Amino acid sequence: MAEINTGGGGGKHDGGKVRSKKASTRVDMTPMVDLGFLLITFFILATTLSKPSSMTLNVPDKTKTEETEPIKASNVMTIFLGKDNKAHYIFGKAANEDPEVKTVSYGYDFRQAIQENARKVAADKFVVVIKPTKLSTYKNMVDVLDEMAITKTKRYALVDQLTPDEKKMLKDKVKIDV
Amino acid sequence: MPAVKIKRASSSVDMTAMTDVAFLLLTFFILTAQFRSQDAAAIETPSSISGIKVPDSDIMTIGLGRDGKVYFGIDNQQHRLEMLDNIAAAKGITFSPKEKNEFSLMSNFGMPINQLKSYLNLPKEQQAKVKQPGIPTDSTGAAPTNELKDWVFNARKANNGLRIALKGDNLAKFPEFKNVLATLQAQNINKFNLITGTEAPPAGWKAD
Repeated sequence: MAEINTGGGGGKHDGGKVRSKKASTRVDMTPMVDLGFLLITFFILATTLSKPSSMTLNVPDKTKTEETEPIKASNVMTIFLGKDNKAHYIFGKAANEDPEVKTVSYGYDFRQAIQENARKVAADKFVVVIKPTKLSTYKNMVDVLDEMAITKTKRYALVDQLTPDEKKMLKDKVKIDV
Repeated sequence: MPAVKIKRASSSVDMTAMTDVAFLLLTFFILTAQFRSQDAAAIETPSSISGIKVPDSDIMTIGLGRDGKVYFGIDNQQHRLEMLDNIAAAKGITFSPKEKNEFSLMSNFGMPINQLKSYLNLPKEQQAKVKQPGIPTDSTGAAPTNELKDWVFNARKANNGLRIALKGDNLAKFPEFKNVLATLQAQNINKFNLITGTEAPPAGWKAD
């Protein structure tokens, strides 16, 4: 470092005692700072700070079959996860009753659609059936499950099989072949 | 009148304060961070509003890559060795102590068991270059070719308290996820965690 050592110098030439040169009490900290930041950089790059979160998923036991009361189609919103990050849903009617198929993208539209439909039926009766098709991605599924948490939909089911009626309906109305 | 001389400031800066800050940060990072493990594949997880953190210990991670390859790993080295012993006994393969040691250092892997031995014998630099083909699965979850079920079974045999975390990539297709799900359900595992990134819940949202 460009430090000029002033004062306190030894060797006075005008006679008198010869004093030993006093060292500067200042230590050059630059290399220490260098080292410190080098280590910081290393730790930032080599470690992970944020721990990922996790959502729990409970699926029904396949080995047991439970008899449950059949649910009315008028309370059910069926969501089909299609391709290109689009979801299609029908509400209130089964696939063979010529329902209106609406298409939404994930995010705000989707949430609104769920909330709108949820308002149409009694709170404890509303059921969402999620049917991911083979064209959908894992992200789509997580998004929908997340949407269930956001809209506080308590009753939902993840069903991975589509009925022939539903396949036909998706092919005819939204032109996806599943 | 002589020209007024500007007093030249010393060009040396006092670095003490800077050193203090640097080392304070360093201490912070050393204490809070945990080392990133060497993963078999990069997986970008989707995010969710869920606030539950993934547990640190006793965790089995099933990864699902964007190309549908399945990766598998458990957290504890001791249990990893036990798991390997169990599966080796079941499949009639023997591993040398060096191979076992090599295996215990792998946080996760994705390859059929018959390729595992030759992979473990490769030098470190070459291991990183190998494209792991993923663990074989199928849609029924119980076929003899489904090796994931063997790994899951033997991992649980080694450590009964394992929790299961599924780590899927954004772009992984649903059918592949379904295969993993079927494998777990065939073993009557009905509760597991999906690992996701964290995102902020919408304004005004409250957890129940």
